[in-house]
Amino acid sequence: MMRRRLRSAVVHVLVWVAFVIVVFPYFWMFLTSLKPYWLITSPNVWIFRPVLDNWREVIFESKLPLYLLNSLIVGGTVALVSVAVGSLAAYSFSRFNTGGVPARFAILAAQMLPPVVLVISIFLMMYHLRLLKTYVGIIVAHLSFILPLVTWFLIGFFDEVPRELEEQAMVDGYTRFQAFYKVVLPNVRAGAAAAGIFGFVLSWNDFFYALILTGGPTKTLPVAVAGFWTFRGIEMGQMAAAIIVAIVPVAVASFFVQKYLVKGLGGGLKY
Amino acid sequence: MGRRAIVPLKYKMVIPLVLLLLAVLIYPMGSSLLVSFQDYRLTALRERHFVGFDNYLRIPRDARFWNAMSNTLIFVSSAVFLEFVFGFGLALLLHRRVRMRNFFRSVLLTPMFITPVAVGLIFRFMLNSEFGIIPYLLRSLGIEVDFFATSPLALFSIVFIDVWQWTPFMMLLLLAGLESLPREPFEAARVDGASAWFTFRKVTFPLMRPVIVVAVIIRMLDAFKVFEYLYVITRGGPGNSTESIMYYIYRVGFRFFRMGEAAAMSYVLALIILLLVFLEFQLLRMARST
Repeated sequence: MMRRRLRSAVVHVLVWVAFVIVVFPYFWMFLTSLKPYWLITSPNVWIFRPVLDNWREVIFESKLPLYLLNSLIVGGTVALVSVAVGSLAAYSFSRFNTGGVPARFAILAAQMLPPVVLVISIFLMMYHLRLLKTYVGIIVAHLSFILPLVTWFLIGFFDEVPRELEEQAMVDGYTRFQAFYKVVLPNVRAGAAAAGIFGFVLSWNDFFYALILTGGPTKTLPVAVAGFWTFRGIEMGQMAAAIIVAIVPVAVASFFVQKYLVKGLGGGLKY
Repeated sequence: MGRRAIVPLKYKMVIPLVLLLLAVLIYPMGSSLLVSFQDYRLTALRERHFVGFDNYLRIPRDARFWNAMSNTLIFVSSAVFLEFVFGFGLALLLHRRVRMRNFFRSVLLTPMFITPVAVGLIFRFMLNSEFGIIPYLLRSLGIEVDFFATSPLALFSIVFIDVWQWTPFMMLLLLAGLESLPREPFEAARVDGASAWFTFRKVTFPLMRPVIVVAVIIRMLDAFKVFEYLYVITRGGPGNSTESIMYYIYRVGFRFFRMGEAAAMSYVLALIILLLVFLEFQLLRMARST
């Protein structure tokens, strides 16, 4: 009894340690964002009168809201297209085994491709078409890895829906496509939403493609956030606020996605 | 109408995907391959011409390429190893009866959802030798370190950051693996009076091996792409000691504008990654057969 209680205590202590390691950086950035500029480079100051200067400047005087909007537009477009196109294809892969194992493997293999392979030609394409620093390049680039991933997730979710469901619907007079659209699709609603949100998060977080393909007024949030560390000291409070702006939406989204993530990653794997 | 019906629904439904992937994935892949056989400099676009394998033949003699490759391999192996150890440890902890288990699980997973740029900047700020909180706390213990100033340490500071961000991913997959294990072998082990360590070594670990291999492969593929931490913290320095392969290719292509060489390098990188994945799949097969 003693031993078990001791072991349980040790487990709890270790979990708390991990918790502190994860949460402390968030806490520290939040604290920093509330510090007046003369305290930002003083790590020993924990208690002070919080000021909203950094937040006010980031929200009202910087272009961060514009970059936030860019991230929303790009991520939203990529997620919607991926779920729409992906669910059509995933249904076909799941029910008719279209293309067999090679097709499924090809979808997975697209994930292994290092982004530099694609970014060079997408960059040159946009350069010659004079479409650099527009949304086109970044959306193309994001679709190249998010569309296959979302499709992969959806295959797994469709596999879980019993076939009897649409067979019954077809007996009732639906065509196959109607059965897909009106019966099967509503059944994977939660999974499709999770896949879409995950795709959105991946787009929102991407820095590599965004750095090369966006710029000026089309910068996305990560590129803008990276730009804060140019002058030392004074900008750092704003950087902290901008970082929190970039983190909070995805952290919230993550709570919804987590449940589906493992299942989704398993995706079209057939054991 | 009559003709269209010949295309079966199963193909119709994949047409949008195929067309889109042709445009955003296959075409760029092909055109990159073409670029890799050209002298293609953005600074001298008029002089663009095919040079055969020249760009590829230059790579074996490019010391900086191999320096970046070796940095990347050191980074990937140490980061993924540590993430595996800590991730497995956390998964085992959370697999037990822990108060507020779901709360802890959710919070511990958050780092993997954050943009790496933010993570890099957070740690650049917290590890800064002048005003970072961590060096400050270490100083009060009498330890003086500058995390990004000296050669081997800078790379391992980057490893440390990667471990912070991606251990949760390992934990997520391994915890799911633990939860899906059959119960019988564990009950049998308990009936036989096996110690916890013995059960872990002889029951848990072998049963988990396929999950472990998959988790490690996914993580390695991703770790190969390390770029953001370097971009916002070290820029490859001091010297070239933290320059990763992605960062080097980025420099060649988008700082020096030598697109042909960058394209060739990126294809060599793709081949190396493919080779590694192939090796690991062999490993997976071995793990399954034993």
